[in-house]
Amino acid sequence: MRHSGPVDSHHFEALGTNCSLFAVGLARGRLLEGEFWVRRMGARLTRFSPDSELSRFNASPGSWMDVSPELESLLRESLRAYEMSSGLVNVAVLRALEGVGYTRPLSDGQPIATELRARPLPPLPDVLAIRPGAARLEPGAGIDLGGLAKGWMADRLGDALGPNALANLGGDLSARGMGPAGDGWPVGLGGSTVLLRDQGAATSSVRRRRWSVEHHHLIDPRTGLPAQTGLEEVSVVATSGAEAEVVAKTALLVGPAVAPAYCAAHALAWWLSP
Amino acid sequence: MRTGILKAGATLLTIAATALSALYVTAHLKNPAAPLQPTVLSASGATTVSAPGGTLTLGPSVQPSTAHPVTSTYAS
Repeated sequence: MRHSGPVDSHHFEALGTNCSLFAVGLARGRLLEGEFWVRRMGARLTRFSPDSELSRFNASPGSWMDVSPELESLLRESLRAYEMSSGLVNVAVLRALEGVGYTRPLSDGQPIATELRARPLPPLPDVLAIRPGAARLEPGAGIDLGGLAKGWMADRLGDALGPNALANLGGDLSARGMGPAGDGWPVGLGGSTVLLRDQGAATSSVRRRRWSVEHHHLIDPRTGLPAQTGLEEVSVVATSGAEAEVVAKTALLVGPAVAPAYCAAHALAWWLSP
Repeated sequence: MRTGILKAGATLLTIAATALSALYVTAHLKNPAAPLQPTVLSASGATTVSAPGGTLTLGPSVQPSTAHPVTSTYAS
């Protein structure tokens, strides 16, 4: 069944970035419902609000805490991402982010560059345990869901908005169906346009969220320091938004010598920028 | 006497069947033409394009387009 036709779109700011929802043959109210869902999830999963579910979880180490189905799903996705990336995508990165000065949203002002001290991240399975309806964090550890949450949310939005829709949450996107012309959703990737059909895309970069030559937001778990790998930006198309996020970040962290082979094994299309 | 003959006959029949089966199996180890692996897309179907600022590689399941993109993936 083809669902081609004019595209309805809805743009808004949330999650500290720009978000866009597109759909063919969908009531506009559904796109607004999508925005409200993004805002609700953002409020629940942000590390910058002490009242968020994630902040309460980070503040309750050493004991089991009841978690919502959404946070449980994301934490399980985080463990999957850790395995898929051989440990290079590690959401137990909060203490390292705080250590490099990223303690508040960038919209509240530039972080203060701190003295950099290497401190490798703990293996995620050693500090995060999950059982149905509850999770437990080891003392000293902290979770930042970052781009993984955006990819996960884009995938759920893509599913919820119907058979022919696209959700783009700050560059992490999920495309469902055959797009407006019936041959896929035209999406910009590395300066070119590609057609996505039931696929996701994401970009990982050290060019944004940077506040000094050495300080930026993308932490290398092997050192606990901002990554310096010889790649500055990687964009990836994969089977889902969350998977694209994991592959893009991993490719950037392994660097230019290994990234092409890694992407060939895990991605459907990729853009590598040194 | 008759029981002994039956036992010996059964034993010989079993040994013969085992030996013949072993000979057949060793002579027909496998069919080289059997489709033991499912057909998969070849990775060599990927195309790589150098562009200002980097390289773009498209696998066989992602098609390029000249259409105007409705949105892009980008760093945020």
